[in-house]
Parts: sequence; structure tokens; C-alpha cells
Amino acid sequence: MNGAGAPALPRWRRGGPATVALYLQFVRLAFLKMLAYRLRYYTGVVSYTVFVAGNYFLFSAIYASRPEGAEAARLGGLTLAQMIAYVILSWAGRSFTFNNIDRTLSWQVSKGEIAVQLIKPLHVQTMMLSEALGEAAFRFLLFTLPILVVVVPLFGLAPPPHPALYGWTLLSFLLALVVNAQINFLVGCLAFYLKNVSGVVRAKMIMMEFLTGVLVPFTFFPGWVQTVVAWLPFQAVSYVPVMIYLGQRPGASLAGALLLQAAWALGLSVLGRWFWNRSVRHVTLQGGVRWRPRRPQGPCCRAARAACGAGCTSRGARPRSSSPTSRSSSSRGWPTGWTSWST
Amino acid sequence: MDDAGTPLIRVRDLCRDYSVSRRREGVRGGVVDLLRPRRETLRAVDRVSFDVASGEMVGYIGANGAGKSTTIKMLTGILTPTSGTVDVGGLVPWRDRGHYTRHIGAVFGQRTQLWWDLAVVESFRLLQKIYEVPDADYRRQLGRLDELLGLGEFLHQPVRKLSLGQRMRCELAAALLHAPRLLFLDEPTIGLDVVAKESVRTFLRDIRESQGTTVLLTTHDLGDIQQLCRRVIIIDHGRVLYDGDLEGLRARVDDRVALHVELREPVPSAALAAATAGLPVQWREAAGLLHVADFSRRDVRGAEVIKRVVNAQAVLDLRLAEQSIEEIVRGIYRRGDAGELP
Repeated sequence: MNGAGAPALPRWRRGGPATVALYLQFVRLAFLKMLAYRLRYYTGVVSYTVFVAGNYFLFSAIYASRPEGAEAARLGGLTLAQMIAYVILSWAGRSFTFNNIDRTLSWQVSKGEIAVQLIKPLHVQTMMLSEALGEAAFRFLLFTLPILVVVVPLFGLAPPPHPALYGWTLLSFLLALVVNAQINFLVGCLAFYLKNVSGVVRAKMIMMEFLTGVLVPFTFFPGWVQTVVAWLPFQAVSYVPVMIYLGQRPGASLAGALLLQAAWALGLSVLGRWFWNRSVRHVTLQGGVRWRPRRPQGPCCRAARAACGAGCTSRGARPRSSSPTSRSSSSRGWPTGWTSWST
Repeated sequence: MDDAGTPLIRVRDLCRDYSVSRRREGVRGGVVDLLRPRRETLRAVDRVSFDVASGEMVGYIGANGAGKSTTIKMLTGILTPTSGTVDVGGLVPWRDRGHYTRHIGAVFGQRTQLWWDLAVVESFRLLQKIYEVPDADYRRQLGRLDELLGLGEFLHQPVRKLSLGQRMRCELAAALLHAPRLLFLDEPTIGLDVVAKESVRTFLRDIRESQGTTVLLTTHDLGDIQQLCRRVIIIDHGRVLYDGDLEGLRARVDDRVALHVELREPVPSAALAAATAGLPVQWREAAGLLHVADFSRRDVRGAEVIKRVVNAQAVLDLRLAEQSIEEIVRGIYRRGDAGELP
């Protein structure tokens, strides 16, 4: 279109190594960012210990109340020792795989902060996943390990039937992290279509407690519920890795379980990619990217800000950054089924 | 057109419609809205055309809701127009977003692209990776920006500890690290104190001269425009009202001046009106001995009015007040046109 001598902007594509270097930088920065808030996680160790203790006493009581006999030693196919391991690993795993991509992304979209990302040569989905990996590295070292250090001596963790299962469990939790991140990304994208996505985010969080198997093992559920959850991706977030540790997936079905997780991780990334592209197209056609931060007006907005927590109220026009501030207050991953949302 | 070079940005007949829902009144209306929303089309940008030459710094101004942001969204590629074309150096922003975003930088006065909890330099290193700036170029550019903005003192502090002025300097540096061809500034001086504002303006002048960056600036602070841009585009109700230099604007519009006259003795306004009888001058009494004559310079020369007044009355002091650029622009927003435009 330009005439001769017009200043042409060259086309440009990032090379493979540069792409890896870029997204590794996101991993690194997310880790450093979490480090800035490490103090907040010390109280989290106490909370998780309390959750594990609650479940420990609950299941101990249930097992103790059974009549004597060989059949009675097992409940939902698990012995008490296995059940305790299930509880500990579910919660420890949750402290590792948890992230707030859904809240962060929906916040960025609804506040228009996403514009800052959209005008950069970035792949937002990969960026979010990289940040989740950086966050997970932090969580593993400074949250999950301290939790295990406190919880394991207190309640005792039975070793897996085979030492190799330590490694497979760890790998499985890594896949669980990716699956969880992709689910959260998809939920976050809903903000492109919904005016207020926080209700969905909250509902998802509570549903996840059940559907991932963190609260109760699936083997406690009636048959048809087990069939349903077996077809959902949520079991890959917690149930599958924990069952691998317990040796309930021996031999070929261990590989099958890991493959299932990998398939969900891949499938959900593809779905996320499609949904993201569709959402961005939708928003660029509808003109929905908010450009200026909307100033709080009226009581409904105040309520929203109050619900959002202390981090949200600090400035009228919040920079991208205070998302992490508001985020950090709730990003420790408190189980919502147990405590109020705002903890 | 400026003679600074061939146009980098070419905007032709750009239009953008929004579909908005119009609410009915009352409870009943609310219920009806739920069942059958009433939607209507609103034209936010209406046949906007302009060129921007490479290296030009253009002020893009307009009242709230005039269509500024919508235009900028289309120029940055995050909004697809309803019709019309935009060509920036051979790329179409919304279609070639992947390629295009490499060449642009942006500062939104009310947002940040810096990582709040981390040292400023961490965000800079990330930007280096995002835009694939070679190490040598990065160091050279950072050095240059540091020299102009004085970043050294807080480069290693977390962003949340910076003052607004310091943060804005970092935002500017962040937007320019990859030496973009095109820089979008949206309210870059909002909320800054006078000194910080001045340093930002000085910086922008320097950067345009030293790097030849093309800058599109939207602002409500006409001081920014006056000090930075030779050219200004005024938009209102989605249309371009004026495109030209700032002083030309004064000549184009009805150039109103106010002659403040301080008299020795109290005299009714009618006496002064009599002195300027036949001239298109309106008198009003300000306070006590002070009278003000409003007239347009196009209709009558200031000297003529002054001569008549001085001859007729005992004048203690005189002051001729021009409209400030701000008043002129405000007048344009109010009337919705810029006088006799071609």
C-alpha cells in the first residue's frame, strides 16, 4: 500500500531458542515475585496442617467405628494407613499444583489490563503457564516441603509399595500442575464473555475440591459418579497422582494413568489455545478490551472491591501489578470448602 | 503534511461502530430489558483519515468519549475497524498483530507494564527477551535512557517503592527499550507534579530528536501538546475536527480577545459602549472600575478599540487577554466544530 521509499516495518518471527529463553524468564520472574511474598506462606503451612489434621481425625474415627473383621480394615478399597497417605498427599499436592491463573486472567480481562499484553509480541497462554511453573517451583520449595516436614512426622506417611513410585508420583504431580493450569486458563478466558466472572471462578474452585478427589477419594462415591469423574479432566489434578503413590495403578495402568494425564494436559492446552484465539477475536471485533481503568462508582462497585480483598482497594487505578498483590492474599490456595473465601 | 518524511501511518476513512444496549426505565423496563434487550449501533469513529510522517510527534486530543481511545485501539491492533484502512509501514495492525507489535511501544498513564514486586531492571530484562534486543543494543539503549531519565538510582528498587514520577520515567524507558518505530502515549503525564511533568516532556523531546521515533500522544493536558507537538488532531463525536498546527488553530477559530479596562472614575458601561459605537464590541462591567470589552480579532483590530476607549475616558490601565489554547479547544468541544474548516 505504501509508495516507494515508504518506511516499511519488517515482518518478524521469534526463533525457537529465543522463545525458550523468553518463557524461562517468565518462570524466573514468577518465582522471584512469589519470593517477595514468602512471609505470607508461613501461616499457610499452619493452615494446611490443620486441614490434614481435621481429615486425619475424621477418617481415623470412621475406620475405628467399623465392626471388627478383615473386610472392615478397608474402606473404599483403602486401609487406614493408605487413607492417611491419601489425605497428606492430596493436600500437599494441592499446595503445589494450586495457582490463580483463572483469577489473574479474569481480573486482567475485566479491568482491561490485558491490553498491555495484547500489544506485545507474546503468547499469553504460554506466558501464563510459564508463570504457573515459576510459582510452582516456589510452592514446592517453600510451601509443599515445609508442609510435608510438619505433617509427615505428625501423622506418619506410609511409603509407596515400590520406591520407584516416588519418582512417578512426582512426575504425575508435574502433569497435574499443567492440567490444573490449563483448566484455570480456560476459566479465566470466560471473562471475555461474562461481565462478572468471579462467581464462576469461586464455583469452579469449590467444585474442584470434590472433582479432583482432594476432599474424598472417588472410591467412596457411588458407581455412576465414579464413571462420570473418570471422564473428566479433574481427576488428573489430584486423584491420579495420589493413587499412583498408593500403588493402586501398578504396571501397565501406571503408564496408562500418566498417559491419561499427559493427554488431558495436551488436549486442554489445545482447547485453551483455541478458546483464547476465539476470545481475542471476539473482543477485537466487539471492542470489549477496556482501555481505561473504570473508576469505582456506586455501591455495587464498592462491594466488588471489598469482595476482592485488601489488595484491590489500595489504588483507584490499579496497575497490573497490584493484581499479584490482591492475588497473593488469596493465592495460597486455601480450600474454600473449609474456610471462607477471603482467607 | 509535514515534510519530515514519507508517511509511516496512513489512516483512511476509518470507522468503528459499537453495539450498545439501551436500558429502558423503571422496574418494568428492567424486566423487559432482560427478555428483549434493546440494542443500537453507536458510531465511535466516523470516517477518520490522516497521515503521520515518520519521526512526527502528533497530539491526538478530544473530550471524553470523542473516539480517541477507539482510534488508538485500532492503531495498536487490538480492535478491528468496522470499515476503513490503516497501514503502518506496510502492516495492518489488527491483521498482522504478531509482526506489528514488535515495532510499537506504548505507555498508558494509568497502567503499568512493570512487575510490581520486582526490581525495575527485572522487567527491563524481560522486555529485552520479549523484543529480542541483542545484549549490546540493550546496554546502549538502557545507557541512553538512563542518561536522559536518570534511572540509575532506582533501577534496583521494586516498582511498588517508586513514586509516581519515578515510575512514569521507568514506564517510558520500558516502552522504548526496544527502540520502537512508533510510540503510543496515553496520558503520559497524568497525576504528575509540575517538575515530573517537565522532565517527561523534556525526555520526549530528546527522544524524538535523537531516535526519530514517531509518537502519537493522547492527553487531556494541553500543556503536553503545546510543548511537544507541532501538529494536533482534534477529534469529536468520532470525526476529525481539526488537523494542523496549534497556532493555526487560533487563526482558524473565531479568535476572541477580552480587553480589560481600568478607569480612574466610575462610569456606566453604556458610556464605554458609546465610545465604541459602530464596532462589534460587547461591554460588560467586571468589578468597580473594571470593564471588559469582548470582541473578535477578525472583526476589529485591538488598536482601534483601545484608541477609542482611551480617547473617550480617563483610563488607568489596559490589558488585552487572548484566549488560551485550552479555552479555544474547550470552545471547539462545546460547539462541535472548529469554525471555518476547509
